[in-house]
Amino acid sequence: MIPVKQLLNEVIASLRNVIAPAVADPYPKAQAYMTAVILEFIARQVDERTDIAEAKATELGALYEQLTRLAGMDRIVGGEPPSEAALCGLIERLYGERDRLGEKNFAAANHLIRTTLRHLLDQELKITGKSEA
Amino acid sequence: MATEGATQEKITAYLATRIIPEARNIKLTNWIQTAVGWSHETYVFDASWTANGGAHQRGFCVRKDPGTGLLRELSSLEDQYKVLKALEKTSAPTPKGYWYEPDTSILGGPFLGMEKIAGEATNPWSRVGKQYYAEAAKRGKLPRSFVEALASLHNLDWRAAGLEFIGVPGPGKDFALREIAKWEGLIAQSGRKPEPVLTELLMWLKANAPVAPRLALVHGAYRTGNLMIKDDEVSAIIDWELQVIGDPMYDVAYVLSDLNREGSPLLSCVIERDLFVDYYQQLTGLEINFDACRYYQVLYMMRTAAFWLSASGLFADGRSKDLRLARTTYSVPVVLDMAAKMLGF
Repeated sequence: MIPVKQLLNEVIASLRNVIAPAVADPYPKAQAYMTAVILEFIARQVDERTDIAEAKATELGALYEQLTRLAGMDRIVGGEPPSEAALCGLIERLYGERDRLGEKNFAAANHLIRTTLRHLLDQELKITGKSEA
Repeated sequence: MATEGATQEKITAYLATRIIPEARNIKLTNWIQTAVGWSHETYVFDASWTANGGAHQRGFCVRKDPGTGLLRELSSLEDQYKVLKALEKTSAPTPKGYWYEPDTSILGGPFLGMEKIAGEATNPWSRVGKQYYAEAAKRGKLPRSFVEALASLHNLDWRAAGLEFIGVPGPGKDFALREIAKWEGLIAQSGRKPEPVLTELLMWLKANAPVAPRLALVHGAYRTGNLMIKDDEVSAIIDWELQVIGDPMYDVAYVLSDLNREGSPLLSCVIERDLFVDYYQQLTGLEINFDACRYYQVLYMMRTAAFWLSASGLFADGRSKDLRLARTTYSVPVVLDMAAKMLGF
């Protein structure tokens, strides 16, 4: 997701530079400009939710720990600290080495990864309002 | 963004000098800039003029590349024009292509002109749209026409129509792998940070790509909203942006997908599943491969996620000020959730 302050700044720019100037009627035009002003204040008030980032970091740490215990996974896990970007590379390496690992080991690692992906997705869904939790 | 009046003046001058030079007193009426579409600016209007002592009138639709539209790397207006020209000679209902203009100095981007088609491409996502299609479904004519238009694409001889220029996949799994690579490229261009659920999805898709036993002209986004409808019949298939030569099950999967009905019990908000399956198989002689369709539905979810990532990326880095694009950042996890559930996690 786009970081909240970056998103707010772009929405403000859109309101101020595109939407408000295109509105002919003075009342909605003033409302559009005022929305941009209020969003600037809000941008200074809000912070990114830390609970989601923390929950994701915990999930990723636990996954990496579990993966290193599986046979043949050392090279695939690599030395990078756990992160979502690092996990992308790990997933690609896992599929790339599927034949070497054998189907049983691949499936075990893939199951752990998918379980974590589910939890990461559930964190994101807290923002979209589609969470089942 | 040019004002409406300025755009009308430029198009009038273009028609007078390049398209209908014999015309005098060209006047544009019924001008509409359509609000739909993410990739191009679209203007629909009627032009009237005098020439050779007589009065003439013709409807036009002009699509312009705004320079920052979605999918612009994947969908050139020139190719769209060539596809429309190729399809004019076939039984597929499509607008006639009138011109392609690469000169960006005229309207600020390349543009194409095509026939204005009678009818409406009612948006199926609105309450009004859902009701319109549900009522048309009860009358019975439109659902059949929906299938007939799709079958006309899948049955046509694309080599004879001269459509090889859009790219012909190799045998076996090449079609699916090419399609994945195309969308993976869009993800890379989006500039967004790597997304592990999407990575797992991409790797699964590559590992499980199906063989395409038959190739056809595939529209790539065949659904209500991308079809002009008049008197409960498909008057034209529009939005030629994602067409490929590929597995016809790719279009079938799109029709069968939940992505295109948003709560409606009808496929694409317009047709009962059993009727679609039976009538499609009857008209094409193809047996629907439901396993392949399930695979392509996951591919569509990846494609949708790639589309939303690209859209939100354009907004996030200031290349577009369209707030609809900002909203799509929240759609990415939702579509990835749908894909994850299809893959069992």
